[in-house]
Amino acid sequence: MTNLLSLTCWLNSAPEGVIAYAADSSVSKSDLENRVAFWMRILPAEKGQRWAVYHKDSAEFLSIVFALWQLDCIACIPGDNRPATCERLRQRVQGFIGDFPADLVSYDISGVVVSFDVAPEWRVLNTDSPALEIYTSGTTGEPKAIGKTFAQLESEVAALEALWPGNRDAVVISTATHQHFYGLIFRLIWPMVRGQCFEIQQWQYTEDVYSRAQRYSAFSLVSTPSHLGRINTTVAWAEVAERCCSVLSSAAPLQRKDSLSVAKLLKTQVREIYGSSETGAIAWRIQSDRNEEAWQALPGIRLSQTDDSLLTVTANQLLEPGFKMSDRVEFVCDGRFKLLERVDRIVKVEGKRVSLAEVELVVQNNPFIEVVKALVITRKRTEVALVAELTGMGRQELALIGKRKLVQQFRQYLQDFFEPVLLPRRWRFVDQMPYNAQGKLPMDSLQAMFEQEEVKWPELLSQTVEGQVAELVCRIPAELIYFDGHFAGNPILPGIAQVHWAEHYGRQMLNLTGRFDRLQVIKFQQVIFPESTISLSLEFNPETDKLSFRFYSDKGVHSSGRICFS
Amino acid sequence: MSDLQLEIKQMIIETLDLEDIEPAEIIDDEPLFVEGLGLDSIDALEIGLALQKRYGIKLKADSEDTREHFSSVNALAILIESQRAS
Repeated sequence: MTNLLSLTCWLNSAPEGVIAYAADSSVSKSDLENRVAFWMRILPAEKGQRWAVYHKDSAEFLSIVFALWQLDCIACIPGDNRPATCERLRQRVQGFIGDFPADLVSYDISGVVVSFDVAPEWRVLNTDSPALEIYTSGTTGEPKAIGKTFAQLESEVAALEALWPGNRDAVVISTATHQHFYGLIFRLIWPMVRGQCFEIQQWQYTEDVYSRAQRYSAFSLVSTPSHLGRINTTVAWAEVAERCCSVLSSAAPLQRKDSLSVAKLLKTQVREIYGSSETGAIAWRIQSDRNEEAWQALPGIRLSQTDDSLLTVTANQLLEPGFKMSDRVEFVCDGRFKLLERVDRIVKVEGKRVSLAEVELVVQNNPFIEVVKALVITRKRTEVALVAELTGMGRQELALIGKRKLVQQFRQYLQDFFEPVLLPRRWRFVDQMPYNAQGKLPMDSLQAMFEQEEVKWPELLSQTVEGQVAELVCRIPAELIYFDGHFAGNPILPGIAQVHWAEHYGRQMLNLTGRFDRLQVIKFQQVIFPESTISLSLEFNPETDKLSFRFYSDKGVHSSGRICFS
Repeated sequence: MSDLQLEIKQMIIETLDLEDIEPAEIIDDEPLFVEGLGLDSIDALEIGLALQKRYGIKLKADSEDTREHFSSVNALAILIESQRAS
C-alpha cells in the first residue's frame, strides 16, 4: 500500500502549510479552504448537478472543484473554453464557473467575503461517487464525455506512486495545462495526495521553467513532447540540474533523441507515460541510449491484445475489464510492447487529440466547401492538412480574394471549434478528389499533395482513370526545378520533363510495370509556361505495350507522343 | 521595409514552414499570433529557438515580456536590435 492522502477527505487530512506557489507568493492550505468556502457560498448548485470549470489558476481551479464536490456536484472539465465547446457543454451542465463568457456565468461574486478562524469540518466524500467529467474526441466526430469516480482517480495515482515514490519536497513545475486529464493528474491530483507542492501557473517557455527551477531547492518537471522537443539547450541548465528530481512527459510519445537530450541537460531520466483520457495512465518507459525502448504496464495494470493487435487494458481504475484501446501494439518480451498505428481516425497533433472526422464535419458545414478530406502530415511538425473541393460560391471567392485570404477566413471560422495547434495549416483546393480506378480515395495520393521535396511534379487538380485511359488536369507551379536555368528570364517546361511526367503518371495510374524502351512520334508543338493549367491524357495499349500521351490546354495541343515499354 | 524586417519575415516563413505567403505579405506591425498571421503556441516556441540560433538572443524568463517581443515583426526587430547594441 502507498501512504497517500485520500482525495475524499483531503480537506480534513492534508497537513497545514504551503500547498502551492504562485509567481511571487504562496498558497496555504487554509487559503485554499477559504476559497472552497467562498465558492460553496456563492454557487447556486444543488446535489447531483454538473458544473463546467475552466480556470487558469490551478489553486483557484482546485477550490472550485472542491466546492463542487462538497456540494455533491460533478466538476466538468473541458480542455478549452472555445465558443463551440461552451455551446456543447450548455446541454450537459447546470452552469459555468471561471473563465467563460459573462452571459454563461450564473453566479454573483460581488460583496461576498468568507473567512473563518477555525477551519470547518469538511464532508467526507463517497469514494464511488462521480467526481469529474472530462471530454475527448470520439470516433464519430462528436466529442465524448468520460466520467471518473474518486476511487478511479485514487487508483490511478496509487499505481503511479507504487512505481515512482520519489521526493515529496520537490515543487512541481509544469508546461501542461490542468484542463487536460494528463495535467490534472500529474501536476495537481498526484502531488496533492502526496502532500507535494505545485505551481499554480502553466509555463509556456523552457526559459520560464529554468527561472522557476532556480527558486526551489528541489523540483519536478511535468511536460510534454511539444516542449521537451523544443527545449532551449543554451540555457544554463547545469545550474539547476542538481535540483531536478524527476521529469515526466506524456500526451504523445517523445522522440528518443529529445528524451536523451533532456536527460543530459537536467541529469535526470525522462519518464514517459502512455495512456488516454478513458483509461488514465497505463504504461511507461524510460528511453535508453542504445535503442528505442518498449513500453511496460504500470503496477496493477494488466495488458493484452485482441486478435487484430489492439491493446486491451484491465485495471482497478477502469469500471469494466478489457477496455479496448485504438492503438495497435506488438508485444516484444516480458510483457513490454511497442506502439504501432491507431486504427481510427483520431490523431494526436502536438499531444492534442483530435478526430479527423470532426474536423471534416465542421469544415463541411461551411458554405464554400463541397467535399473535404482531413489528414495528418508530418513536415517540420505534425499538422492537420485539408484537401477540399469548393462549391461554386467557394470557387468564386477563391478567384476573387486568392488562396491566402480564403484560408485565413476558414481558419477564423474554425477557431471557434478547435484549439490553435489543431487548426489545419495546409490546404489544397482541387477540382476533384483523387479517386483511383477502384473508386477509393488512397491516402497516398492525398499525402503526396503535401510533400515538400523539390518541386518536380505538377499540382494535380483532378485525375480520373477509366480502363486503360487516364485524364489529369494540373497546374504547372512556377517553383518547378525544371524552370531553373531553362532559359533565364523566359522559363518554359522542358520536353524531357513532359515525357518523364507522362511515364510517371502512366505507371502510377495505369499500373504500368514494363521497362522504358524508346520514344515514338514525339511532337512538341507549343511551349508550356509556368502557372498555366494543362491537361494530360494517357492511354495504354496492352497489346503493343505502348503508352500514348498528350499535353493539351485551351490553346490546343502542347505535345504528344508514345512511350514504348518492353 | 528594412533589411532586418525582411530577414525576420524570411526567418518566420522558413522556420515555421509556412506556405501560400511571401515575406512582403507579412505586415510589419500586424499581430503574428491568433489574429493576423495566426501563429500558435508551438510557433512561439520555434521562433524562440530560431532567435536564439540566428541572433544569439536569450529570452528573459518572463512570459509577459516575451509575449510582447513576439507580438509583431516590428517588435521582434526591436528585440534583435536592442540585443545587438548591448
